[in-house]
Amino acid sequence: MLPSRRLILAHFWLGFAAFGVSLLLGEWQMFVRSPLHAWLRHPELYYRSVTAHGTAMAYVFPMLIAMGFGYAVTEAALKQDLIGRLWAWGAFALVAVGTVVAMIPVSLGLASVLYTFYPPLIANPLYYIGIVLVVAGSWIWVALMSVNLRAWRQRNPGAPVPLAMFATVAGAYLWAWTAVGAALELLLQIIPASLGITTTIDAGLSRVLFSWTLHAIVYFWLMPAYIAYYTIIPRAIGGRLYSDPMARLVFVMFLVFAMPIGVHHLFADPQVGAGFKFMHSVFTGLVVIPTLLTVFTICASVEIAGRLRGGRGMFGWLIALPWRNPMMLALAFSFVMLGFGGAGGIINMTYQLDSSVHNTQWITGHFHLIFGGAIVMMYFAIATDLWPHLTGRALASLGLMRAQLWTWFIGMIVLTFPWHYAGLLGMPRRMAFYDYSDPALAGQAAAVDASVAGGVILLVSGALFFAVLVRGHFAPAADPGEYRFSVAAHHQAKLPAALNGFGLWVGLMVALTVVNYGFPIAHLLSLKNNEVPVMSVSASQ
Amino acid sequence: MSADPAARSERRWAAISIGIVVLLIAMAAYGGLHQAVMPQAVVETVNPRTLHIAGEFTEGNLGSALEADGSVMVRVIGQQYSFTPQCILVPAGTPVTIRATSADVLHGLMIEGTNVNTMLMPGYISTVSTRFSTTGAHAVPCHEFCGVGHEGMWGRISVISRENFLKLAEGRGRLSCVAQ
Amino acid sequence: MTMDRPPFWKTWTMAAAALVACIAAGSITIGFVLLPVLQPNDGHLSIWQRICHAAGVSRPVAAGEPPAPATITTSRVVVVPQMLMAQVPASVGSGATLALQCGSCHGARGVSGADVPNLAGQYPAVIYKELLDYASGARENAVMSPRVAQLSDADMRDLAAYYAYLPRPPAGRQAAPPIVASGSPMHNVAPCGACHGTTDYKTGSPWLDSEPFDYLKAQLIAFASGARHNDISGQMRNVARGMTVADITASAEYYARAQ
Repeated sequence: MLPSRRLILAHFWLGFAAFGVSLLLGEWQMFVRSPLHAWLRHPELYYRSVTAHGTAMAYVFPMLIAMGFGYAVTEAALKQDLIGRLWAWGAFALVAVGTVVAMIPVSLGLASVLYTFYPPLIANPLYYIGIVLVVAGSWIWVALMSVNLRAWRQRNPGAPVPLAMFATVAGAYLWAWTAVGAALELLLQIIPASLGITTTIDAGLSRVLFSWTLHAIVYFWLMPAYIAYYTIIPRAIGGRLYSDPMARLVFVMFLVFAMPIGVHHLFADPQVGAGFKFMHSVFTGLVVIPTLLTVFTICASVEIAGRLRGGRGMFGWLIALPWRNPMMLALAFSFVMLGFGGAGGIINMTYQLDSSVHNTQWITGHFHLIFGGAIVMMYFAIATDLWPHLTGRALASLGLMRAQLWTWFIGMIVLTFPWHYAGLLGMPRRMAFYDYSDPALAGQAAAVDASVAGGVILLVSGALFFAVLVRGHFAPAADPGEYRFSVAAHHQAKLPAALNGFGLWVGLMVALTVVNYGFPIAHLLSLKNNEVPVMSVSASQ
Repeated sequence: MSADPAARSERRWAAISIGIVVLLIAMAAYGGLHQAVMPQAVVETVNPRTLHIAGEFTEGNLGSALEADGSVMVRVIGQQYSFTPQCILVPAGTPVTIRATSADVLHGLMIEGTNVNTMLMPGYISTVSTRFSTTGAHAVPCHEFCGVGHEGMWGRISVISRENFLKLAEGRGRLSCVAQ
Repeated sequence: MTMDRPPFWKTWTMAAAALVACIAAGSITIGFVLLPVLQPNDGHLSIWQRICHAAGVSRPVAAGEPPAPATITTSRVVVVPQMLMAQVPASVGSGATLALQCGSCHGARGVSGADVPNLAGQYPAVIYKELLDYASGARENAVMSPRVAQLSDADMRDLAAYYAYLPRPPAGRQAAPPIVASGSPMHNVAPCGACHGTTDYKTGSPWLDSEPFDYLKAQLIAFASGARHNDISGQMRNVARGMTVADITASAEYYARAQ
């Protein structure tokens, strides 16, 4: 069992609790804006729910999973007790307290600005302060990952960093740097406005700073899933990792290219030059490459498992795979959703195609498929794989786990595929209700109904997932043995130092940020008199 | 390492991946240049507080204007929770440029059934160039959250034949299909 | 696996940095030079200007051709959320004195008891803006227009402060009709409370509770026909045009009956 299991369990439980509440809100939202429900008489309730759902799902839930998983990897891969456990508990407290502080004004309807909080709409200051506390907690986690790795290197000079830890620390550094954008926006622009210290704000600059965070944050969410692809799945299904250096290359490519591409969220914005829109489009294309490499490497790793089990022929090894193993199901489902979600992302990455889908429900369907589908599927896998090492009890309910994964997969497909279609029909985002009787929207009604049904399946799946985790706490005690990661198939004689360290890649990430964001931000900062009046929400009566 | 077949197949796949990405981006750039959907060329700033008092976005200047070169310039303001003009009138088969801005918060402007799709940002002017090949009507929703009335922000655009538009444009400053 | 010596590391650094630099340089060349140059040029811009534009160097909106002359007088008031937020007691006092002339129609305590709008507890920005609009001719009324001619800007602020300070008539809340609760989206009507204070507030939108039915109905009809046109950039005209006669009656009844 892992020494810091209580810490890790706390992170997972709080994260999944936020996820569970948010899942209910999400389905309520889908239902009330569908043809199945009359128009909300208080549309503000919808926007309140979207704010809560987005904040919990985008900031709180994946943060806690990444943090808990990071601590687990530190202990399991580096085979050391977590250094700074008290700090880790402090970070957890910051995240927990920050979440509560943020959710209080949201629940009261004082912060219905949505999780992207675009100015000049400004909410109650406690909402933003809560988010800052959550981010501060995550930065402590980043420091702990770095400190723990440094201690291990001192004890193991020159040795290759275990892949799982290498990727975790890469993800941590990526997050630390990408959070700076939203942190600057919050600390320098939004919080002063919400406190009444300033009464005007540059809305264009805010969106640019937020875009700095907005894209790479999805790679921060994605890192645990990819770490699981490379270091957990091959072991869990009895295979080998096809290539360790390629895996490292993938992670450092994410570290470099996930960051400086946020302007693809601003293709339709008037405050950014067309040249930067093109540049960010190119670099977004580059960040597709590590995913394509991952698909290759993981499929090859899985093929090894299939052949080791006696599979023959060009595709016969697929049938030989351990399909009764929930981890195999999780990977397959995740990859299918990654394929479709990734294809959607490739469509979004150019200005030309984005013009057809920007801010339609295509975009919302896209990120629910890729995050709620591909990535969260792997969060389930990570949790259940670690659970025996955190609880000291065996997870015996394999049938329940398979049912949970199947329902999540089916639910996600039924939820998101019609959702994409509604977007292609032109359905705009973020509205509390729609008049489906109008010819302009009548074609979208069936798609939204289908998404509601998909959401119901997801609620069932969510309940099953909680059942799996809870039952895991009450099963008979069983020693899970040492936690093992996947083993590479090919012996690598030399590991380049560049694939064992971060200096080069962090340097490139920062340099690219300067090249891709420096001038737009500097120019907007230099403009005088382009600030606009702040508008506080819920400043009624 | 080059002798290793695993490394060889990895390199081959990496080359294919890079090739796919380069091809996609080249297609986007080529398509953009030749189909005229490119990001706006210039960043222009404006004061949202005084749009209605002086300058290009005063009320009398909003709507569709026939330019000297035969193209049409449409000026639109977005505010909580409507576009002005509420019903935009444009001719088919004519280059149309839409210039728009927001008077208060972030809005979106999208013409359903087309790829006219832009954000309206207070303090900045958005410019979109397009051409409607057929006549007809389209809904024009705001697609960015702009406050608790966002769900009510639906405008319209009416594309009429070029001859009808030119007839209406004779002697009239700015056109729209707003019934008064 | 064993670790490599420093020289190999330098090679990785050079290769990675060079590769990233090449990609950056290539995309900069294409995005900032090639694409802008290849786009149709109206002949006015040099290559350097086009590069600057591609980089996002902004310029204030050019004067261009003069705007088409207005056919109606519109409001010239600058409305920002922060206007008239501070309540100065002296201002309230001056306003009370000025309001002595208003009481004969608007009521001694700002509640008229007739079809004249109640002013008690109204948002100060609203009173201020409407007075300015009467003065400029953007809004016209046979009774109001001559009266505001004698008011200075400070007088108008004082009146606004005074009436804002008065207590609103008590409001009993009935169930809102659909047009008020949910609006009419495809006719571009947002729920009234989104601007008029019950759900959220947009500066310049009047508080409507307990206003006289006939007054509310007349104003909506006037906005719909364009007879009233002091709403900035036509935002209320847009709303009123989307309301049916039944919608107008129902919403006016709802807000009037609030007392």
